[in-house]
Amino acid sequence: MSNIKQFFSRNLAVIIFYILSFHSFGGLQDVPNLLIFSFNLQMIIIYFYVLKYPDNLGLGHIFLAGIVNDVVIGTPLGTSSLSFLVLAFFTSYIRNVTLRAKMSSEWITFIPALFLSNLVYFIVVNNFSPLSFYYVELLRDTFFTFLFFPIFYYFFSSYEIAVSKE
Amino acid sequence: MSDSRDDFVIAIRYALLKKGAKQKFSLFFLIILSIFVITLDKLSVSFILSTRAVLNDLVYQVTIVSSAPGNFLSYSNRVTKDHFDVVNKNEILKKEIQTLKSNRYDNLFLKTENESLKKALQLGNPKNRREETPIRARVTLDQQSPYLKSLLINKGKKNKIVKGMTVFSQSYLIGTIIESNYLSARVLLITDLNSKIPVVIQDTEVNAILTGKGKKIELTLEYLPDGFVLEPNKIIYTSGKDGFLAAGMPVAETYLGIKNKLNIKSLADPEQASIVHVTNGGFNR
Repeated sequence: MSNIKQFFSRNLAVIIFYILSFHSFGGLQDVPNLLIFSFNLQMIIIYFYVLKYPDNLGLGHIFLAGIVNDVVIGTPLGTSSLSFLVLAFFTSYIRNVTLRAKMSSEWITFIPALFLSNLVYFIVVNNFSPLSFYYVELLRDTFFTFLFFPIFYYFFSSYEIAVSKE
Repeated sequence: MSDSRDDFVIAIRYALLKKGAKQKFSLFFLIILSIFVITLDKLSVSFILSTRAVLNDLVYQVTIVSSAPGNFLSYSNRVTKDHFDVVNKNEILKKEIQTLKSNRYDNLFLKTENESLKKALQLGNPKNRREETPIRARVTLDQQSPYLKSLLINKGKKNKIVKGMTVFSQSYLIGTIIESNYLSARVLLITDLNSKIPVVIQDTEVNAILTGKGKKIELTLEYLPDGFVLEPNKIIYTSGKDGFLAAGMPVAETYLGIKNKLNIKSLADPEQASIVHVTNGGFNR
C-alpha cells in the first residue's frame, strides 16, 4: 500500500500531465461564466518541472503525452510533442544559464518560452494541416497561462517540498 | 564577445544533448522524432493511416474513461438547470399547442391538395423515394479546443460511418464526419472555422457559404452578392450545391443581437448534443 502511495506521490506530475492530455484540459472553460479563464496547464507543468525538478518529468513522457494530445484535439500527429519539447528545450536552456533562481525572473522568462512554443505550433499547423485557428482564444489562453503561473508555481513547489520531506 | 558566444553555444548544446539521471532520451533525439512523425503524418502513407486509426481508437477509449467524472458533473449541472426551465417552458408550450392545433387542420388540407396536384402533374409518388436509415450514435467527447470545434462519437467504420457523412442532433444539422476510425469517428461542427456549407436564404434566391466562428451564436455568411442586405428572423437552408447535402435542410437563423447588430445563430445546439444521427446527407427522419 505504501509503495502505491509512494509511486503516486513521486509521479504526480506525470500522472496529471497524462490525464490533461487525454482530457485536453482547457482550464476553467468548462465552468459556466468562466469561459474566459482558459489556460494551458500542461505548459505550466512542463515549464515548472523542467526548470525545477527535471528528474520528475521525463522527456519521453512529454513526447508521448503530446502525441495523445494531438489525437484527442485532432491536430497533425507530433505537433503538440514538438511544441512541448521546444518549450522543454527553452526551459532547459534557461535553467543552464540561470545563476540565482527567483520566481519573478522565472515568471518573466515564461513569456518567451510560451511565445516560442506557440510559434512552433502555428508553423506546423499552418504548413502541415488545413486547419484554421481561433487566434483570440489562443491569445487569451496564452495570457492566462502566463498569469496563473505563480499560483501553480507555489502549489507545485509546496507539494514537491512536502514529498521530499516525507 | 567570442567568450559569450561560446557560452551561448555550450548552453544550447548542453540543453539539447544532456540527459538527466533519470532521462532515457535526449531532447535532440525527441525533437527529431517529433519532426519525423509530423512528416509521416503529412505524407499520409497507408501504413501511417492505419496506425493512426488504431491509435485514435485506443486513445479515445482511454479519454472516455478519464473524462467520465467531468462529463458526469456537467451532465448533472445541465439536468438541474433543465429541470428549473421546464416549468416556464411548459406554460409557453401549452399556448403554442393551442396555436398549432388550429394550424394542423390547415396543413392537412394543404397536404391533401398538394398530393392530388402532384398526381395530376405526374410528378411521381414521394413515398417511392429512397429513405435512408440514420445511424444512431452517442457523443463520447465534446472537444471545444481553440484549434477544432469537434465531437467524438462512439460509432465508426464498423457501423459503416465514413468520412463526409452528415450528423444531426434533434433534427438539425450539426456537422460532418471528418475522421472515421474503426470504433469511433470525429464530427466537425458547423460552428467550426473549417466548416463550409453551401446555403440559401429564406424568401430569396441568394446562395452563400455558411461558415463558423467558434460559437453557436456567431456564424457568418461568405460570398454574399454585393449590396445584399440580410434581414433578421430569416431561416438559412442548405442549398445542396455541394452535391452531398440534401437541399432545404434548415441550418441557421438570422437574429438581431446586441446594439441591433445582425447575427446568425445555429438552429442546433452542438454543445448539448448527446445522441446524434449520422446519415448520407438527407434529412434526419
